[in-house]
Amino acid sequence: MNREAEGGAGARDRILARIREANGSRETVEHPGTLPAGLEPPVAYGGQRPDPVDALEDRLSAAGGRVVRLSGPDSARRWLEEFAQEFASVSICEGVPELLCPSLPNAQPEQAGLGVSMAVGAAAQTGSLLLSSTEGRRSQLLPPTHLVWVRAQDVHATLGAALEARMGDLPAALALHSGPSKSADIGRIIVTGVHGPGRLVAAVLEESGDW
Amino acid sequence: MEVHSRDYAKRARAILRDTPGVREAVTAATRSFDDHRRSAFAELDGEALRDWAEGVKSHALTHLDRYLEQAESRLMERGAHVHWAETAEDVHRILRELVEREGVRRAVKAKSMLSEEVGVNPLLEAEGVEVFETDLGEYIIQLLGEPPSHIVGPAIHRSLEDTQALFSERLGTATDASPEELAGAARGILREAFLAADLGISGGNFLVAETGSIALIENEGNIRMSTSLPRVHVALVGIEKILPRLADLSTFLQVTSKSATGQPVGTFVSIIQGPGGSRGGEPDGPEELHVVLVDNGRTRLLADPEAWEALRCVRCGACLNICPVYRQTGGHAYGYVYSGPIGAVISPGLVSLEETFPLPFASSLCGACAEVCPVRIPIPHLLHTWRERAVEQGLTEGTARSLMKGWSRAATHPRLFDWIERAMAVLPDGISRRLPMLRDWTRGRSLPRATGPTFREIWKDGIE
Amino acid sequence: MKVSLFVTCIGDRFYAEASADAVRLLRSLDVEVDFPMGQTCCGQPAWNSGHLPEARRMAEHTLAVLKDAEYVVLPSGSCAAMLRCTYPHLLGRRELSDRSYELAQFIVDILGVHELGRGLEGRRLAYHHGCHALRELGVREQPEQLLRSGGAELVPWEMDQECCGFGGLFSVKTPEVSTAMADRKLDTLPAAETIVSADGGCLLQLESRARYRGLNLEFRSLASTLWEARRGSP
Ligand code: SF4
Repeated sequence: MNREAEGGAGARDRILARIREANGSRETVEHPGTLPAGLEPPVAYGGQRPDPVDALEDRLSAAGGRVVRLSGPDSARRWLEEFAQEFASVSICEGVPELLCPSLPNAQPEQAGLGVSMAVGAAAQTGSLLLSSTEGRRSQLLPPTHLVWVRAQDVHATLGAALEARMGDLPAALALHSGPSKSADIGRIIVTGVHGPGRLVAAVLEESGDW
Repeated sequence: MEVHSRDYAKRARAILRDTPGVREAVTAATRSFDDHRRSAFAELDGEALRDWAEGVKSHALTHLDRYLEQAESRLMERGAHVHWAETAEDVHRILRELVEREGVRRAVKAKSMLSEEVGVNPLLEAEGVEVFETDLGEYIIQLLGEPPSHIVGPAIHRSLEDTQALFSERLGTATDASPEELAGAARGILREAFLAADLGISGGNFLVAETGSIALIENEGNIRMSTSLPRVHVALVGIEKILPRLADLSTFLQVTSKSATGQPVGTFVSIIQGPGGSRGGEPDGPEELHVVLVDNGRTRLLADPEAWEALRCVRCGACLNICPVYRQTGGHAYGYVYSGPIGAVISPGLVSLEETFPLPFASSLCGACAEVCPVRIPIPHLLHTWRERAVEQGLTEGTARSLMKGWSRAATHPRLFDWIERAMAVLPDGISRRLPMLRDWTRGRSLPRATGPTFREIWKDGIE
Repeated sequence: MKVSLFVTCIGDRFYAEASADAVRLLRSLDVEVDFPMGQTCCGQPAWNSGHLPEARRMAEHTLAVLKDAEYVVLPSGSCAAMLRCTYPHLLGRRELSDRSYELAQFIVDILGVHELGRGLEGRRLAYHHGCHALRELGVREQPEQLLRSGGAELVPWEMDQECCGFGGLFSVKTPEVSTAMADRKLDTLPAAETIVSADGGCLLQLESRARYRGLNLEFRSLASTLWEARRGSP
């Protein structure tokens, strides 16, 4: 077992016992249940475009990201060939389907100028791309520019729905990327690309399909 | 962390007198945080949302034992190691053993207030481990050797000029380097540290019982890196961080981010279930995940019939941002890792009232914090509660106590009261300036003289 | 209609004329005003500083003195909040609480009067919202409405709802923080002739700080200002 034995079991039992005692005479509080739909934070950015893909585009753009909308794998591959021109090398995550991988100069994530990954979902409400650790995390984090493929069919209106869709299949780490890395820790002036990628591009594939 | 809260008044005075720039920087930063929060909440039914969030956290706390056990089982099923720490010393022991067993030489840290609370850095350094704070704000204050000044923006008390001077001295950047150049210099050093570190240490914003998930919110990406790149990841999680279900998490991520910075959600969120790498059957990620569930005074707070409500706190910092008292000095005046309104109500419970009793008095009781707290912690009420206890336990100064006794005696004897009110008009300045309370009041204030008749006298004469 | 005026300790000593103006104003609105002589202090200083038995004694005293009142009206937001919001908690009973009102709150909510007169024509006023009137009583619109209807222009003040730094014992325990808070108010003040507030404590704090700094500003109680509006001239 992984519960740490040395001194640990005693500490565990004592903490739990103290919690039970502390709560002993306290009235328990019921869980208020699922958040009523009316209380969900709005999906559309600025009340503008309610369609999830449109809203994702608006929110990600507002956060400093960029959204490209493409039809399907063929046009996507062609677009990437073009886009990748400005980078000396590219690091592609394991999870990205072959169909979306034109032949490009490859490099380790530490060296590559562009990292490419495949979102396992997205949430319009927060402008978030869901990334799984099963495709490898380094290419999501180390290159200064991060391109994320997103299938339009995987874009959910709310964050709750996007997470719920992954519920049965949670990786070691699920991440939400909702814009380029930023910090205002120096004199309250926003700087991008502090640690994570300073450029985030979401390429939405609008054709549905199972590739 | 050492506690210096008994010196609150002295520390506050020194900050205002010696480093006036702090007041300006903190006021500007907190006002900007607060403006963003305000616009984010303008598009919501904030009141109903806060009711809901309060309910979820109170539910979690009143079922805390069950949910902690559930989270523990989920984590262990995924191959994580779960430790329980009653005290800061327990955390130290757990880390020391890990450092020895794994031969840890270099550690990267993602901002964690709990790690400040239990003093992780001094411990690791004493073990010969090189420690890098990786949040840019934390990195700045690590170079300065200061504790954080704010729970969300640890370096908000420092201006651009301060950081220019600091980095130029320590990292050799130009004295007029731009924020981009300064961040670039830090990034270069920390990127190397990330790639070379054996150990990553994080906190945890939430721990989801249903899935065993540790959730972390940030903007820079340093938390993702600290929890992804080193071979070993240790997450220090306060036992009160529990959320029952994954469905709760999606709302709490948003409510916390909106309350903190007004963002729909932080730029990066990590939701961690277990180790990665070969242990987790994944291409990379830490081979080992250790989750340390920390009590360190939290069960004492939970047992408190009033103050237990403060355990709902999600550390968004909204109460600090709106607090006019906090805005004058920033966090260092409070002499403990948790500052501002929430610091003033949890520190007496986490540490002891004796060591922190001036903090609940460090408030004008304006009530602004209660209006912004996303989990409806009744902060003004708790400030009162701690004040009452401090007085009851005889911790406060005798002068205030005698004065209140005397005042209440006068106020229950109308003729005596009347006499005092009239006497104030004829009291010579020389004497009034020597009266204990008045003396402090007239430091920096010139009280208008009340020389005319009292209202009572006017009333007796008849009002035209 | 008959009200008992509770002037509060600060109103009795420092704002005696303002309290008299409250009487004039109420009488001019056909309200019979009575002043129970035994009244003293509501107990707020003791309550705020954690001295419960003392606060309770003063509250009981106040209750006894005002027990026959049809309405209690206070020219002070924080003392009104003490009676309305704190007494029930402190004493475990609500008598008096539901009958106690801050002056502007009483005029608008109970008397249903929304206009007093045009005596403030052309005046530029800055209004400071006392914290307890604002956040405990929820009084925000009433004073502003009455001042505006009197012809005054209320100049926008971004810090009009931020605490002045008084806070009773707080202002003595940490005078430097307290005065820094007052400075934040004064330093953001727009060009206005007069600063008006319903709270004597706040006025005393702001005025004392302004005087110390040699700032030439006029401070005036809400009661006197509303009486000006009613009477038609200063
Ligand atoms: S007390 Fe409330 S407002 Fe303050 S940090 Fe905690 S959750 Fe945020």
